[in-house]
Amino acid sequence: MHELSFHETTFEKCLKCNACTVNCPISNVSFDFGGPKHLGPELKRMMDHQEVIDDARIELCTLCGTCDASCPENVHVSTLTSYAKAIHAEENGTKFRDLILSNAELVGKLASTFAPITNMTMKVKPVRKAMQKVLGIHADRQFPTYEFSNFKRRYNKKHATTEKKVAYFTGCYATYNAPDVADSFIKVMEYNGIDVAIPEQKCCGVPMFANGQMKQGLKNAQFNTNSLLEYTRQGYDIVMTCTSCTSAFKKEYASYLKTEEAEELAQHIYDADEYLRILHEEGVLNTNFATINAKVGYYAPCHMKGQGIGNPAMDILELIPGFEIQDMAASCCGQCGTFGFKEEKYPYSLELGKGLATVVEELDADYTVTECGMCKNQLDQLTNKQVKHPMQILKTAYEKVPVTS
Amino acid sequence: MYDVIVVGQGLTGLLSAIVARKQNKKVALVAKGTGKMLQSTGLMDLVPGSNKDFSQWMELYGLSNREKITVKDAINEFKRLTEKIGYEYVGDVDKLANVVTSSGHLKSTALYPKTITPIPEKGRIVIVGFNEIVDFQPEFLKGNLQKERPNLQIKTMSVSLGKDSQRTLTQLDAARVLDEKDNREQILRQIKEKMKTEFTDGVDLFIFPAALGVQQWEKVHSQFCSELKAMVTEAPGLPPNATAIRLHERLRKEAIKLGVRFYTDTEVNGFSKKGTINEITIKMNNRNAKLESQHLLICTGGILGGGLEQTAKGLKETTLQLSVNKEGAYVDLPDHVYPVGASLGTNVIHYGITGGIYSVVSSYLTNLQIERSDMRGLQRA
Ligand SMILES: Cc1cc2nc3c(=O)[nH]c(=O)nc-3n(C[C@H](O)[C@H](O)[C@H](O)COP(=O)(O)OP(=O)(O)OC[C@H]3O[C@@H](n4cnc5c(N)ncnc54)[C@H](O)[C@@H]3O)c2cc1C
Repeated sequence: MHELSFHETTFEKCLKCNACTVNCPISNVSFDFGGPKHLGPELKRMMDHQEVIDDARIELCTLCGTCDASCPENVHVSTLTSYAKAIHAEENGTKFRDLILSNAELVGKLASTFAPITNMTMKVKPVRKAMQKVLGIHADRQFPTYEFSNFKRRYNKKHATTEKKVAYFTGCYATYNAPDVADSFIKVMEYNGIDVAIPEQKCCGVPMFANGQMKQGLKNAQFNTNSLLEYTRQGYDIVMTCTSCTSAFKKEYASYLKTEEAEELAQHIYDADEYLRILHEEGVLNTNFATINAKVGYYAPCHMKGQGIGNPAMDILELIPGFEIQDMAASCCGQCGTFGFKEEKYPYSLELGKGLATVVEELDADYTVTECGMCKNQLDQLTNKQVKHPMQILKTAYEKVPVTS
Repeated sequence: MYDVIVVGQGLTGLLSAIVARKQNKKVALVAKGTGKMLQSTGLMDLVPGSNKDFSQWMELYGLSNREKITVKDAINEFKRLTEKIGYEYVGDVDKLANVVTSSGHLKSTALYPKTITPIPEKGRIVIVGFNEIVDFQPEFLKGNLQKERPNLQIKTMSVSLGKDSQRTLTQLDAARVLDEKDNREQILRQIKEKMKTEFTDGVDLFIFPAALGVQQWEKVHSQFCSELKAMVTEAPGLPPNATAIRLHERLRKEAIKLGVRFYTDTEVNGFSKKGTINEITIKMNNRNAKLESQHLLICTGGILGGGLEQTAKGLKETTLQLSVNKEGAYVDLPDHVYPVGASLGTNVIHYGITGGIYSVVSSYLTNLQIERSDMRGLQRA
């Protein structure tokens, strides 16, 4: 219990202005949630130097981080709510289901090993009904598919030999569900003459933090920090295609681990589009893109918005001739990682997703672009538009350039 | 490299970013918090907390008579923008309106959304509260309003939103409840039931908390007017007021849709000049970075917004770390850096705060300045 009385003092600056609750996606669709102001700074104020308080309402916090971005006083609200989640898990035990969901990596390994069967089974109604009953995973929630030929089986280079070196933190989603995103990223880097290495890595920990598995999450954070620092200290840049992973390395690791190493590593972390934008600013990005005549809608994931990097995906995609991309200015998608799979959270997830579904329909673009695999999962379920990752589009734009010899 | 960087996402920052983007400029908006709009009433005052009229306001802000037309242009531009984003503002800077707040006091304001109706001198009024919203007490409102308007006949009532909640509900929560048709009907039924014994020969105006819908405010307002057969107004008070949230959400979305790049949760904490280019240092999460722009707009809200800090040695500027005089105005303003709104220093802060109208006008004037500067640049090239 001791480590849960964590040290964090930014709550003292909370003026109870409500900006976090006003902007909180869950608070805006449900009164069942206590709201970030109450479950963040106010709860911490009551607990400090006193008894640890377990508040069950914290279950509805998705750790989207919108509260952090709205706070005028720079209170680290989501750090406080993540600890409230950990306290709740510690005091109440964790459902078997949440342990499974929080272990996205293990699930990915298993599911991809039996991929064709997994994918088929997850579409069989009676199976899903049974899963809901036994596990509490909602029967109507579509699952991302798993690939047998996962990215680890496809590519496993440990060192880069070019002058600019990238170490790619692949993340669970691109490894097991969407190896095509990972492949595309490697290709895009290749077109820019940059070699990519794959460091030893474990799940970034985001699904663990979200399920109150703080200890396991911090173990992973420590492992990844050690592993990636070996690369950055040799001049590698760390690049990621999942905005939740990126956000964990830039923000949560340093805030939760509170070590110099985590701080040091944070300076070398880039979202893939952010990295390409830097190359562009340095004048070294290969901009020999083929024309892609398309009108697409962009959906900004919460964990991208929380990074304070503007909109790198659009900055880069706008360089493609003929490519028209419009930010849909939508709020949280409602999938929120593991949240939207849970039986009792599913209705909230759908309620949150309504806004997004409406804007997608209104814009009626050719397809939707987003960096986040979990947002894609919700988009796949709630809209009839195809969803692509920016790297997939960039790869096509490079490949379609006519070869002149 | 951006054409324009706007620091701050309060009313001043959002409006500045939107106008700049409409000029087809590449625009970034950098802000550490959401700004004061969320805490405001959403009414655009000349000088909050006073009854100063337009010409006194012009004088107070050091605007010459010549600039009157430009000021009017700015106001009209704001009205057009609010209409376009689906939350139209009405009113006139030349003729201030008396509107009621949730404490029952009247305040004069210049521009207000269509959910607000100015308070008449006489007539029959019903104040409706919601049991669940503790920040709005109809009897309290009545007491004060009656003092200000002795010729009004006022009744009060409370109805239930019919929702259980795990947190203290606010006006904004009530507004989201009213966005749903079934909830509206349930609430209207309760009001009509109570009206069977009150003012049986009709009511002139119903007063509600600032909670008449968020997305669906237009439907809520017109349905309430037509079913209650009277005018309906919101009385904004303690935050969060739906009147302000609607404007904030819509301005933000408009800016994003137009392609303004948002750097949120990001603090600006340094500045340098690289030739004619402005370079700022930003701190987001646990990292530092730099951003460059041709023009730099400081919309940091002065003392209240965090752009200026009161220290033992006087005012300190937090954003660019440049020196300011005792009024908080930049001593040596670098080229192509423009303080906007309350960032201009305490000479534009009267009674502690700068009203919304000044944000509207100041962001418009700054844009004209930038246009002129760009023209000169073109002529020289
Ligand atoms: C509680 C309250 C209620 C009010 N109610 C009304 C009202 O009803 N009607 C009315 O007309 N006026 C009202 N006002 C006045 C109001 O302040 C102005 O009308 C207007 O909204 C000010 O907007 P602004 O954009 O200039 O500043 P703010 O809204 O304060 O915005 C400042 C922005 O700058 C950012 N910022 C500051 N420093 C930095 C930095 N170093 N780095 C990055 N970002 C930074 C902040 O995060 C914020 O986004 C009220 C003010 C307050 C405080």
